[in-house]
Amino acid sequence: MLITQEKINEAVSTIIEYGGRGILNCVQCGACSAICPGVRAGFPLLCRSLIRHLLNGELEEIIEDSSSWACQACCRCTEVCPRGVRPQEVVFAFRRYQGNQLAFSTSSVTSQMNLFETGHAVYVDPKEARSKVGLPEKTPTSAFDEQAKQEIQTLINNSPMGQLGLF
Amino acid sequence: MEKIGLYLGCNIPLKAPDIEQSFRKVFPVLGIEPVDLQGASCCPSWGTAPSFDLNTWCAISSRNITIAEDLGVDIMTGCNSCFGILSEAKHFLNDGERRKVVNAQLKAIGREFKGTSDIYHISHVLHHKVGVQKIRESLKYSLDGLKITVQPGCHSLWPTDVFKITEANPYNPTILRELCEATGATVPHYSRLEGCCGMGGMRSTDVEKSLKLFRDKLISMKEEGNPDMIVTTCSSCYLQFDMSQPILKERGLIDFEPIPTFYYTQLLALAMGFDPGQVAAISQIDRRSLISEIQSEKRLIKEVA
Repeated sequence: MLITQEKINEAVSTIIEYGGRGILNCVQCGACSAICPGVRAGFPLLCRSLIRHLLNGELEEIIEDSSSWACQACCRCTEVCPRGVRPQEVVFAFRRYQGNQLAFSTSSVTSQMNLFETGHAVYVDPKEARSKVGLPEKTPTSAFDEQAKQEIQTLINNSPMGQLGLF
Repeated sequence: MEKIGLYLGCNIPLKAPDIEQSFRKVFPVLGIEPVDLQGASCCPSWGTAPSFDLNTWCAISSRNITIAEDLGVDIMTGCNSCFGILSEAKHFLNDGERRKVVNAQLKAIGREFKGTSDIYHISHVLHHKVGVQKIRESLKYSLDGLKITVQPGCHSLWPTDVFKITEANPYNPTILRELCEATGATVPHYSRLEGCCGMGGMRSTDVEKSLKLFRDKLISMKEEGNPDMIVTTCSSCYLQFDMSQPILKERGLIDFEPIPTFYYTQLLALAMGFDPGQVAAISQIDRRSLISEIQSEKRLIKEVA
């Protein structure tokens, strides 16, 4: 792959724009990868290696890789990074780039729909389980609160998420 | 009695309401009144708004926080992810420019984020506000002689610069261990104490990689502690331990029976004498004989009025 300054600039500015503000501080020491559960589990593009690809100017080349969606956001990396990169923020910035290009699995669409429709990313009808344990059938949350649901929908519709064509 | 907003999240009120019921039972005994945050939504979880737009994440999180602000209370949550998400969002909103943008979004729904409510994890409230001595004094049954292996989870530990309360050393967390020891049980150390259970985005992205990470951790727990039960203060870890141990067993990937798992306040509620049918009623792993053991007559310390 040919590395060009133009592609590097585009990748870096895209990541910074999506919230990975510390990316240019990275010196590739690998402290983040040493402590990352995703790296340990075998996902190829997280922490140091993801940052390496991005600093080489790759974006479209790696857009289909699902590693970023396996990031637990545990932030062990952010805690240990000696350079203030906050690698988790870079991983999530790359995930946002993927997300806004609709490069994510269909299973993730369900969570977005659930959030939009009920205010809960995970939604199952709770009535039976709740009455079994002696709680009111309805939760005091957005799921059973029309005004709350409208507020969530307004926030999403007015945001870049509203432009994704999912809702 | 101190009032604290009870932020429920999704999994606890919808999938594991017996954990919610355990909060509602134990906190008043310990001098804390949980207050409902009416209309609160998802935090929003890592796989939703945080995966698309930082300011939308902050707007949905801060909408939740404003519900507590309007009531003049702090927030406590039993879900590690919610704790991490809300704490991070509040941290982002320390940036004056971002706060302006997010408050402009909130204006459309008649709200304003002020930053007056602090975010606590339920384990922080139990450990720092209530204290282990008061927990000890609230017990009806002693767990003396039982062995607990603890699972603190990730999002209450890192990153320490965004949390109100942190562990002295997040790589060797002690809060949950001390909370469990307060019940009289023994809590052995194990080498993968701070390890990730593999739930969350990892599990939904690649269940096999998630299960492998989970198995490594589980075997460390069994081999090094051989516990009667696993206890956690993370609702996601709780679901992973309860749902994935039977999968490993069925596939022949572990040679021992699934270890009964409790959320900490479930165990505490049982030790206080509350009805297991309300506070520990929903699980895939059969916990009945352990619950009978916990609430057996020989363990009675005193009658609680």
